[in-house]
Amino acid sequence: MSSDPGPIRIELARSRQGVAPAAGAAAAPAKFAVRGLDFHYGDTQVLHEVSLDIPLHRVTAIIGPSGCGKSTLLRVLNRIYSIYPRLRASGEVLLDGENVLDRAYALNRLRSKVGMVFQKPVPFPLSIHDNIAWGIRHHERLSRPELQARVEQALRRAALWDEVKDKLQRSALGLSGGQQQRLCIARAIALRPEVLLLDEPTSALDPVATARIEQLIEELKGDYTLVMVTHNMQQAARVSDRTAFMYMGRLVEVDATETIFTSPSNRHTEDYITGRFG
Amino acid sequence: MSGDRANMRYGHRGDPVPGRRVARADGAASPPAASAVATCSHERRARADTRNDRWFRGLLQACALLVLAVLLGAALSTAWGGREVLLGQGWRFLGSAQWDPVTNNYGALAPVFGTLVTSLIALLLAVPLAFGIALFLTRTAPPWLRGPLGTAVELLASIPSIIYGMWGLFAFVPFMARVEPWLSASLGRLPLIGCWFQGPPLGLGLLTAGIVLAVMILPFISAVMREVFQAVPAQLIEAAHALGATTWEVAWQIVLPYTRAAVIGGIFLGLGRALGETMAVTFVLGNSYAISGSLLMPGTSIASSIANEFNEAVGTHRSALLALAFLLFVVTFAVLLAARLLLRRMTRREGLR
Amino acid sequence: MSATLQLRRRMVNALALALGACATALGLALLGWILWLTLRQGLAALDWRLFTQVSADGEQGGLSNAIVGSLIMDLGALAICVPVGVAAGTFLAEYAPRSRFGASVRFLNDILLSAPSIVLGLFVYVAVVLPMSRLSGGAVSFSGVAGSIALALIGLPVIVRTTDQMLQLVPATLREAALSLGVPQWKLTVHVLLRAAASGIVTGVLLALARLAGETAPLLFTAFGNNFMTLHPLHKMGSVPVTIYQYANDPSPALHAIAWAGALLITLFVLALSVTMRVFTHRHRRMHEQ
Repeated sequence: MSSDPGPIRIELARSRQGVAPAAGAAAAPAKFAVRGLDFHYGDTQVLHEVSLDIPLHRVTAIIGPSGCGKSTLLRVLNRIYSIYPRLRASGEVLLDGENVLDRAYALNRLRSKVGMVFQKPVPFPLSIHDNIAWGIRHHERLSRPELQARVEQALRRAALWDEVKDKLQRSALGLSGGQQQRLCIARAIALRPEVLLLDEPTSALDPVATARIEQLIEELKGDYTLVMVTHNMQQAARVSDRTAFMYMGRLVEVDATETIFTSPSNRHTEDYITGRFG
Repeated sequence: MSGDRANMRYGHRGDPVPGRRVARADGAASPPAASAVATCSHERRARADTRNDRWFRGLLQACALLVLAVLLGAALSTAWGGREVLLGQGWRFLGSAQWDPVTNNYGALAPVFGTLVTSLIALLLAVPLAFGIALFLTRTAPPWLRGPLGTAVELLASIPSIIYGMWGLFAFVPFMARVEPWLSASLGRLPLIGCWFQGPPLGLGLLTAGIVLAVMILPFISAVMREVFQAVPAQLIEAAHALGATTWEVAWQIVLPYTRAAVIGGIFLGLGRALGETMAVTFVLGNSYAISGSLLMPGTSIASSIANEFNEAVGTHRSALLALAFLLFVVTFAVLLAARLLLRRMTRREGLR
Repeated sequence: MSATLQLRRRMVNALALALGACATALGLALLGWILWLTLRQGLAALDWRLFTQVSADGEQGGLSNAIVGSLIMDLGALAICVPVGVAAGTFLAEYAPRSRFGASVRFLNDILLSAPSIVLGLFVYVAVVLPMSRLSGGAVSFSGVAGSIALALIGLPVIVRTTDQMLQLVPATLREAALSLGVPQWKLTVHVLLRAAASGIVTGVLLALARLAGETAPLLFTAFGNNFMTLHPLHKMGSVPVTIYQYANDPSPALHAIAWAGALLITLFVLALSVTMRVFTHRHRRMHEQ
């Protein structure tokens, strides 16, 4: 790694987005449109004028060295950051054309549309069944059989049903790490969201469990728009359709994954991809 | 629901994609017409959530304020009940050693003196012992013994104080009655402090009460010290040993300074407990309002005066006892406040934790 | 380095460690003495009569009224201090983890934890017993209810503190995961967080019970005592600790024996609670390590 990267010159990603759309991503309309997003933690600015389109029914990966703001960007998309004091986002984040940063955009509406899966599996201290049913019950009034069906459907969708169907009433804390993470995915999709945010969803898992989750992501993208933060470049290359590279709070480059990994147009991206830093 | 069923069937991993798409289209996806309704209901639910959250928070906050109300209530109610004496006598109440229900003259000096002396004796005895116990339990004892002994110490800290009082009255007072002549003969000859140990061998008295209090707070302080000693990072201790320090040097020069703030906090908590203790001392103090230079003489303490007399007291007498309670509350509060301030200053200066 | 210095250091070390061992031996001997005495005197006086007769029968009597009174007042105290304490602790952990208000309530709660119990008893006397007596024209004065309230003040700070600490141990990701489902804060708190902290909070409740069950001083001026069996919450009510206190002050050796039996019962009860609590703590810790 070079001892001093010097002042970074950021070739604006914005100009690239509209122009030369790479194959595959071109046809998809934007689900999320981030425009001029700034993010402050107290007096420190951690995101600078980020603008990015997230296409419908595609997997968008956000990569970059730690501290580059990739997780922060993800956490703005469902406004989960707002539970902490002193955090402030400004700019626009349009979901189907509506600005979700607007206070008038009801949080539970946003969160029922945008589900999230976290780095570490976080099952609730409830039974497997209730882990899924709890969120649904808050948003919809369903009869018992309807609820059962929804739980089963979500678990099947997350490829977990066969493993847990005989122990739905047992505590979710007894599942393995990989199973817990799939349970969290099931919990998120049980609300029938349109977007799924994945914050390094496999970083706490072993290779076998990771492969299952990646396979699952592949299957889910037909119905959902997925945004995934990962520090694992191979994973981004394997799973995603589009990749965004972030560095020091700025979006450096976003393009079709193939393009980013084979012929990045920015030197920083290239350095990162080729492992020269990060 | 048919859509859901279909989804379940087709949604299984490995099924062809088109099947899933179809299932979702009729089962789950929201057509544009339904989306406006959904938005509206979302906003209604959001409003209800906000309202419920506000109520919930208010309820919890009220309960938290209750803690404050209890303390304030305890201070105000005793001050109000003791207002006749507190206002009528003012500072004279603190300075007077008289306590006479017949002439209705009350002074706080004797109970305050007894409270302070017994608590001081208790601390002087309990702190070094507790340090020794904590040292033994964390450094010297063979590992298989540490767990059980530590647990035993913690269990003993939970024994009710009236048990200590019973032991004091029925076992320790007779024991002291036998030891005291020997104390007078030996320590009583010393210059300066000799007079503290002269007097009739009653068994009861300030010294006995102080020792019973010491035994009572001993497990408490030991448990605190043991816990904080265990929390010292192993690397720190290993590093000191690597420099050739002995176990004692590590304990005295590394462990104790490192944990000083928490240890002092624990000692102050023990002091607070000793100051306000009723049952362990009431039986063995002797209930006398005379202030004597000897620790072997009977005395009284604030808590035991209240316990002994409150139910029979009326008028000014009752007011004097409530004033004493107010005094005790203020003193305990001051001790605990001092502990907190001390702790804060130490942690800030050392930059630890 | 000189050999004499080495020798001195080693001798100081040996002496200090020996003194530490002696301190432990002395401390354990004293505490063993207390436990042994309670066990010996208590077992000698243990008799079925204790559980069937009331204290009004004096030297031929028992403790049944005191045991029933203690159970009623202890449970009543828990019924008051558990909901209030859990709510206050939840407020501290979830709504005021780092605020100035939270810090001051935490500090005052620590003070309450070490406040002299006799003063709390007097507070309840002034704030509950006197007004009730005035309102009822003297028909109701000391009562089991007042006793429960006084004991609740002993247990309250314990529960506030444990709830606060246990909730703060719950990982932040659990909150984020629940909130990302669009669930409101109160549902998250009641359904997920309190459940995640449940075994820790149960520990706090047992700790509070162990503390308040042995308290004598707060009951002297609130429940007063009663030599007859009563279940009426507005009557004077007997309790084991107060009966021990009265009997130990009596010259009669037969009453001393009953007092020892009561002391044994309380000690066993409190130790059993402490052991149960320890089991819960271990289970809680195991769950967090998973």
